[in-house]
Amino acid sequence: MPHRTMSRRGLLGASLGAALLGLPGCGAGNGSASAGTDHLSLWYWKGSLSDKLLATARRAVPGVPGLRVKGSQIPDGDIDSKVRTSLAARAYVPDLTVVNSDNLATFFPDENEFLDLRTLGAEGVRGEYLDWKWKGCFAPSGRMIGFPLDAGPTALYYRRDLFRRAGLPDEPQAVAEELSTWEKYLAAGRALRKGPGKPYLVSNVGNVFQQVLLQSPKQFVDADNRFIGDQAHVKRAWDLSVEMLRQGLSARIVDGTPDYNAAMGGGRVASMTTAVWAINGLKDTAPKTSGAWRLTTMPDGPANYGGSYVTLTRYCRDPEGAFAFVKWLLGPANQLKSYQEMALFPTTPAAYADPAMHKPDPFFGGQRPIDVFGPAAQKAPVVYFSPYEETANTPFFQELTNVESLGKKPDRAWRDAVNTAETTLSRLGVS
Amino acid sequence: MATVADPAEAGAPTHDGGGRTESRRSRASAPGGRRRHGPPLLAISPFYVLFAVFGAFPVVFSLYLSFQDWDGIGDMRFVGLKQYGWLLEDSVFWHSVLNTFEIWFLSTVPMLFLALVLAFLLHSQVRFTGAYRVAYFIPNVTSMVAMTVVFGSVFAQTGLANSALRMVGMDGVGWLSSEWGIKVSLSAMIIWRWVGYNALIFLAGLQAIPTEHFEAARVDGANSWQTLFRVVLPQLRPVVLFAAVTSTINGLQIFTESQVLFQSTDVGTIGGPGQEGMTIVLYLWQKAFKDHQFGYGAAMGWVLFAIIAIFTLINWRLVSGSDREDRGGLRSLLRRKGARNGR
Repeated sequence: MPHRTMSRRGLLGASLGAALLGLPGCGAGNGSASAGTDHLSLWYWKGSLSDKLLATARRAVPGVPGLRVKGSQIPDGDIDSKVRTSLAARAYVPDLTVVNSDNLATFFPDENEFLDLRTLGAEGVRGEYLDWKWKGCFAPSGRMIGFPLDAGPTALYYRRDLFRRAGLPDEPQAVAEELSTWEKYLAAGRALRKGPGKPYLVSNVGNVFQQVLLQSPKQFVDADNRFIGDQAHVKRAWDLSVEMLRQGLSARIVDGTPDYNAAMGGGRVASMTTAVWAINGLKDTAPKTSGAWRLTTMPDGPANYGGSYVTLTRYCRDPEGAFAFVKWLLGPANQLKSYQEMALFPTTPAAYADPAMHKPDPFFGGQRPIDVFGPAAQKAPVVYFSPYEETANTPFFQELTNVESLGKKPDRAWRDAVNTAETTLSRLGVS
Repeated sequence: MATVADPAEAGAPTHDGGGRTESRRSRASAPGGRRRHGPPLLAISPFYVLFAVFGAFPVVFSLYLSFQDWDGIGDMRFVGLKQYGWLLEDSVFWHSVLNTFEIWFLSTVPMLFLALVLAFLLHSQVRFTGAYRVAYFIPNVTSMVAMTVVFGSVFAQTGLANSALRMVGMDGVGWLSSEWGIKVSLSAMIIWRWVGYNALIFLAGLQAIPTEHFEAARVDGANSWQTLFRVVLPQLRPVVLFAAVTSTINGLQIFTESQVLFQSTDVGTIGGPGQEGMTIVLYLWQKAFKDHQFGYGAAMGWVLFAIIAIFTLINWRLVSGSDREDRGGLRSLLRRKGARNGR
């Protein structure tokens, strides 16, 4: 009897001991998720990197003997919190991670968590990349914490058939000339509403507000941590959006909802201003409108909307190897492959000249999207994003929705947005 | 503990016989008490080790966090009660509190009533009662994210709800673009998810009531309404209390429905138009995980805890009451109402 008790206790004790030993094991190594393995770890979300190139890197990175990189897919809604969690825990941090353009700046206050790529010789390849994208990789201190992945040049997407029916110019070149400013774009919207079928110019005004802002080098908070969201560049975007609503040019539908899909498929919306990555979404949403869409330069010129970066964390086990991998993965030749495979728009302008990028797209009636997005990518402005951008601009987008959906008075909504943004930012040390 | 347990053991000898009881007793009183309690404690240790790591520690840490300013990575900065002070001045927070209570009321009251009715129906003799029970419980275990997408199409401008309204000659409603439309839509989703769960709990309570009580009521000439309020409800009191308390706790933590319904990946649409669908937990999530203000989020969590604690107490008082007539809860409320009506 006592013997049996002992053995049971022994078993329990042994399992508890094993569990306790297991816990500190989490912190073993230098904090890298790849500690003790023969590869470097890379976190990305589905669609942000080429699966084929990652499969190659899993076996061996070409040109870097002995180096293997294993990509792990993290859901795109979770990757930011997961990276933060691992950095806070100083354990299981990936050697490399993809960061969305909106989020790179949120890491500026903790920039030392990432390696300065200048120390690894990044300047040597600077000439291969778009200037504004390259500048976006730098924290205000001058450290380069990101490396250019893809770009999100914007264009005016429009329905050629609906434009023609309303008596508007319908060929891309003519539309670009006729709709060269936002004011002229609104005038075209009025013509559409008077024409047959009365289509709306846009599904909602949020996208217009967003694009007008992105055409400005200034956003909501400047590099000196001052709130500038109440200034003319934001007010202009706001006033244009409100004017669009006042003239009844918006279908007042939230993007991505079933109503949006119905409106886009049913020809109730004649145009949209957004980035190159919206093409696939549009093809899925409105497959029956294939051939009717065209692309042209956005009113008041191009901007960049979205696009990502690759970063090296300070826990990276092999910074030189990791950077060699990044140079291989994101060099002009492989960015071209990524475009062909994943529709990731290259940040290396040399790729734009390649015949592979000049394929006509039947969805746009045989137009070549690169003819619009290539020049747009090269002309996008250099924009400063602060770590507090999203905190600052959220009230403005919300209040614009209030005006659009609930009929809130625009002046009141503007004052509320400015007040909310100022109050929230003041608590974060932004004045 | 050992001394309390011993008389019972001594009085009811185990199948091993008295000798074994004797030996166990002597071991307990010996200095080796740890030896006696050690193995059982060790055996249940998976629970408290896991609870300490994943339950107790986060609770304590979030309290600590609510006095700090922290972006999740960098150094924490002690700010005292500032986060709480800011929270009390935050109009969006108070709006989210109001929204949460409106949605909670719009969902819980009809849901508990419906659940009671369903439980009565399931309690009566119907065929395939097992199948019904399963059917009513399925919503509770369905992925809410997937269902929210379905409800999104139901409440769309051109969706099922508006088509039904138009069929009976009424105008469509902006379910997802008006103040009360948003709240009714969210409440409908909550009712759908929880009504079956609560019906099963009520049903279990109903089945525990002896049939003699119903028979006695019938003999005394009570009608079914009187049977419900004078016989069934008083007997169901602990069950109603349980359902009301859990519904309050769940109802005040509404999150998924609103988060998925309004495309929260896009900051401009969190909480829907006018932020009428912004609940406390959704706002907490936005502040902590979108804006990286973890101290603010933690403070919000504790204020939410206080609110839930207060309302659970109120529920408790209202439903369970006490034996004293002056604060007798639901029963005396009903009685007083009856007296006013002259019955």
